[in-house]
Amino acid sequence: MDALIADHVSKRYSGGDRGKLALQDVDLSIPKGCLFAFLGRNGAGKTTFIKIAATLLVPTHGEVRLFGHDVVREPERVRPLIALVPQEGKPFYHLTPREHVYEYLRVRGATRESALTRTEEILHAMGLMGVANEPNLRLSGGMQQRALVATILATEAPFLFLDEPTLGMDPFARRQVWEVIRRAARKGSTVLLTTHYLDEAEQLSDELAVIDGGKVLYRGTAEKLKLTLGREVRLQFSGGFTSEELREFGRVFSDRNRLTLLTTRAQVRSLTEMALERGSEVVVGPVTLEEAFLELVGKGIEEDEA
Amino acid sequence: MSIASQLRAAGHICYFNGIIPLWRSPLLIAAVFLTPFSFLFFLRVISTPELFKFGVVGGILFTVLFTGNGMLNDCAYLRLERQLQQIFVASPVRPLSYILGMALSELAFTLPALALFLGILFVVVPFGAAVFVALVGIVLLTWLMATSLGFLISTFFRQLREIWPIGTLVFSLLAVLPPLFYPASRIPSGFQWVAFLAPSTFSAQLAEAVLGLNQGSALSPAWLNDPWFDLAGLVGATVLFGATAVYLARWREP
Ligand SMILES: Nc1ncnc2c1ncn2[C@@H]1O[C@H](COP(=O)(O)OP(=O)(O)OP(=O)(O)O)[C@@H](O)[C@H]1O
Ligand SMILES: [Mg+2]
Repeated sequence: MDALIADHVSKRYSGGDRGKLALQDVDLSIPKGCLFAFLGRNGAGKTTFIKIAATLLVPTHGEVRLFGHDVVREPERVRPLIALVPQEGKPFYHLTPREHVYEYLRVRGATRESALTRTEEILHAMGLMGVANEPNLRLSGGMQQRALVATILATEAPFLFLDEPTLGMDPFARRQVWEVIRRAARKGSTVLLTTHYLDEAEQLSDELAVIDGGKVLYRGTAEKLKLTLGREVRLQFSGGFTSEELREFGRVFSDRNRLTLLTTRAQVRSLTEMALERGSEVVVGPVTLEEAFLELVGKGIEEDEA
Repeated sequence: MSIASQLRAAGHICYFNGIIPLWRSPLLIAAVFLTPFSFLFFLRVISTPELFKFGVVGGILFTVLFTGNGMLNDCAYLRLERQLQQIFVASPVRPLSYILGMALSELAFTLPALALFLGILFVVVPFGAAVFVALVGIVLLTWLMATSLGFLISTFFRQLREIWPIGTLVFSLLAVLPPLFYPASRIPSGFQWVAFLAPSTFSAQLAEAVLGLNQGSALSPAWLNDPWFDLAGLVGATVLFGATAVYLARWREP
């Protein structure tokens, strides 16, 4: 069964650019219990979609159903089923993380006992025990973000919207959050998250959608995205080639003193031989999700510019 | 959630947004005291004991009305700076519970000041239990009116810095200019009705009537003196602002 169904959703902001749609005819379904990632460049429309689905924003056209309920017409049926980490949200600064989690659970109607247990559990799982009784205003930015994410994840709501939940977190903290998010999904929650960390999307999501200019460009697994592009191998050269030379074999990215080429399997042999002849060091590997993303969205940008 | 749960939600919001900050930074109380107390001090120095009584009533109402300014700033701050209103929208909490919880926390900030002013009032105009209950009623209605208005205004802005001057402007117009600290009869006759364009005038007239302060100084036209007119005006304004806040409030962005 699908937890979320979006049907021809478009959004034009009332105060915004007249001609521009923040979302264009988005169709999407997210199965129950799925961990779904939303990827896209800044301004692609990720937050707009999340706000519409989380009953925060009215769409211009189309409808979104959450567990069968229309988010516009039946918000009071949808709201008890959802919880949301807003993009760049900040916790109440005078509360401690422990109070923050507990009080929010109580506001949402949890009993004292269940709120207490869930609070301690989540503080532990998110590595917040050491600062649980410090007011948020004395915590570092990443710690405050953890307190906010902990607050939302503790709700165990059937549908969790997480808009850039790991923003500003260190690599250890991010992994802790991943684990808690995975556990929420295992317990049956459906999760829709956005992130600009492609490794995170790859590690965490069952499925993902790439959105650009308000349109869904791809929807499927990370693995398939890497394969469908037709360039499934990445070669990294240190010296020996110019990027012009490599461009005829595929997409080229240059960084510092290396050139990265995304290309097809068929080209690998001849290119590595050329590299050996020229004394260039070459590393061969599979494309990363980040590269597949750059390839997919980059194509769109080139088409627009052409 | 049931009505009881919604009320409990409001209580929790009041606790963590009002009581805890107050407990951690008691200096916040001083901020509430400062302005009405300065007014009162001036009045004590420059006016008669008879007029000072009006000043104390004014101090009480000023304090209550500025819960509206606090509401305006706090709600805007939580929504725009911290993105926190979103976590309450995307939850079983109803707009009314959120508004009530926030309004209660604003009231919590002013309770110490209100208690002090009521104490002073009791010294200058001794009153009985019935009058006390009536005063509490007036305070509560005025608080609901002011905080609804504050919330309502807050929802129409997208920038915190645009809000600061608006709040000060609106609530100063409500709390300083109208006859709160002075008797309405001091306004030139023929213009006295103008004062009633500010709903805070109803609160002041009602409180003064309950305390028996405005005897022998009638307003014209005569119906302006009727306490029932004041009560109807205050209740009307409260219902109007409250209902508009709940129904028009931008709980969901357009
Ligand atoms: N309140 C608003 N009024 C007008 N336009 C808006 C508003 N919010 C967003 N937009 C526009 O809608 C488009 C999509 O924005 P959105 O915030 O959904 O992007 P996003 O994918 O979440 O980007 P990011 O990764 O930067 O968070 C952008 O062009 C943005 O300028
Ligand atoms: Mg966003």
